[in-house]
Amino acid sequence: MNKGIVILAHNNRKVDYSRMALIAAKFAGKNLGVPVSLITDDETIQWMQKSQIWKEAESIFDQIITTERPDTDNQRILYDGNDHDRVPFLNSNRSVIWHHTPYERSLLIDSDFLICSDNLNNYWDIDEDILISGGFNDIQGDRSGVLDRWVSETGTHLYWATAVMFTKNEKSKIFFQLVDYIRENYKYYADLFRFKSDQYRNDISFSVAKHILDGFEKSQISLPGVFTVQDKDILEKINDDERMIFLIKSSIDTESFYLVSIKDRDVHIMNKQSIIRHYERLMSL
Amino acid sequence: MNFGYLLVVSSHDNIDYLKMAYALALSIKNTQKPGFDKVALVIDDKQQLERIKSPWVFDHVIEWNQEAFWNGRSWMDKLTPWEATICLDVDMLFLRDYSHWVEYFLENCDVYLPGKVFTYREEIVTSDYYRRCFTKNDLPNLYSMYTFFKKDSALAKDFFALGRHIIKNPKEYSNLYFAQHKPKIVGTDEAFALSAKILDIYDDISYDLDFPKIAHMKGSVQNWPWPADKFTHHVGFYLNRQAGLKIGNYQQHHIVHYVEKDLITDEIINILEEIAWKLR
Repeated sequence: MNKGIVILAHNNRKVDYSRMALIAAKFAGKNLGVPVSLITDDETIQWMQKSQIWKEAESIFDQIITTERPDTDNQRILYDGNDHDRVPFLNSNRSVIWHHTPYERSLLIDSDFLICSDNLNNYWDIDEDILISGGFNDIQGDRSGVLDRWVSETGTHLYWATAVMFTKNEKSKIFFQLVDYIRENYKYYADLFRFKSDQYRNDISFSVAKHILDGFEKSQISLPGVFTVQDKDILEKINDDERMIFLIKSSIDTESFYLVSIKDRDVHIMNKQSIIRHYERLMSL
Repeated sequence: MNFGYLLVVSSHDNIDYLKMAYALALSIKNTQKPGFDKVALVIDDKQQLERIKSPWVFDHVIEWNQEAFWNGRSWMDKLTPWEATICLDVDMLFLRDYSHWVEYFLENCDVYLPGKVFTYREEIVTSDYYRRCFTKNDLPNLYSMYTFFKKDSALAKDFFALGRHIIKNPKEYSNLYFAQHKPKIVGTDEAFALSAKILDIYDDISYDLDFPKIAHMKGSVQNWPWPADKFTHHVGFYLNRQAGLKIGNYQQHHIVHYVEKDLITDEIINILEEIAWKLR
């Protein structure tokens, strides 16, 4: 069974997802030793060509696959340390992954998820058609709430679609179709599973679909929880040995930051602008 | 060694304990394999059975009216007609075959009570919201809702005799052993836990096992971010025609201790009866 990583990236006016995808691909390919493909749209490709990263993209990605750019009226506030901005969020077409992935066993990752270890290599051969990150582990440990663990206070377990591994077969096809169906009927499922429907979240659609296909039961197996640096934190520096230094927002004194460094750990960096600011540095490692 | 379940009910003005016992007995008949599906009922007024359509679900009916409620249940070792018994709270439902659990108890235990219960989402209950008496007084965390015992074992005799003595003398034992937090009522949970503590048999009768698994539906132990008087104020209780049960978005497979005494409707009884009649 051939295996590889897929990353979905659609640029918007505020966030250069193509650069983030390149960084994520570089880290993932290097640490997992498997090919990485990009699924993107024509406009994003044009941007990559204009901004001189196309050659780099062609050398890093196994395949660059085009798909339709999703429509969205979904917006969300993204922080960059203390600053914040309202940005469009083009996240409604995850199900195209199933059709476009060139691999029999795929690891779908968000472009802000940097794979810095080979830990996920332990999951390729597990006999499970769909594996999703089982939880959210805040770098500081005390900034997660009930709604980081459950889709709602009384609802089902919340998986994090930051990393999803699947085998391309009928069962995973149904899974992605169900994710789509939940997205299309989001308010209905919000009533049924008691989650907030004001903003579409892939994590919730994936969690509900997984819960339904698992027979409305707790799943026995998942990918490791996503180790997360939140968007109010800042990626400050990357050392030569790939140790990342972050400024972490204090949960006690919200005006303060403190320094934390990590190395050899897969990390979800929600502050997208702080990844992009370090593009040259991260690509040079 | 014969084995059966034991249910103890008393008449009550507002709560229909017999109806709950009937639902539980039907669910046992519908799910447990032969040899593990016997049910004995202790009831203070046998004539009450005329209210139910299928009294045959009770393999033994024992009329006994000397004690009621907690006090009555504490006599389980004397009342049971079985050599090996699991005495259950009546506000429970069986949803699949659990006879392999019983096989283990028959082979390995004289007395066993679970030391942990679960939420409807299958998390272990860690809250002591209803069990401050246990945590404050360092009582072993026993749940008497599912009490296995062999009638003739010395351990069972000592354990139940002391448990009964505690229930009969709540003030004396509360003053001595529950000084840090006195419970409103010394029921079988408190009395059995204290009995195990005094006899120093906790490790013999409630060591850690992966079973029995019981979803304990008291509202404030469901790991919700708010206290809840009733779980049904927050999630639904859905029994389908095949007697499959969902609570909220979760399919239930373990024993469900639903706690709320008005949950068993005529419709639920009808579903359970139809299945039982087809199986008979």
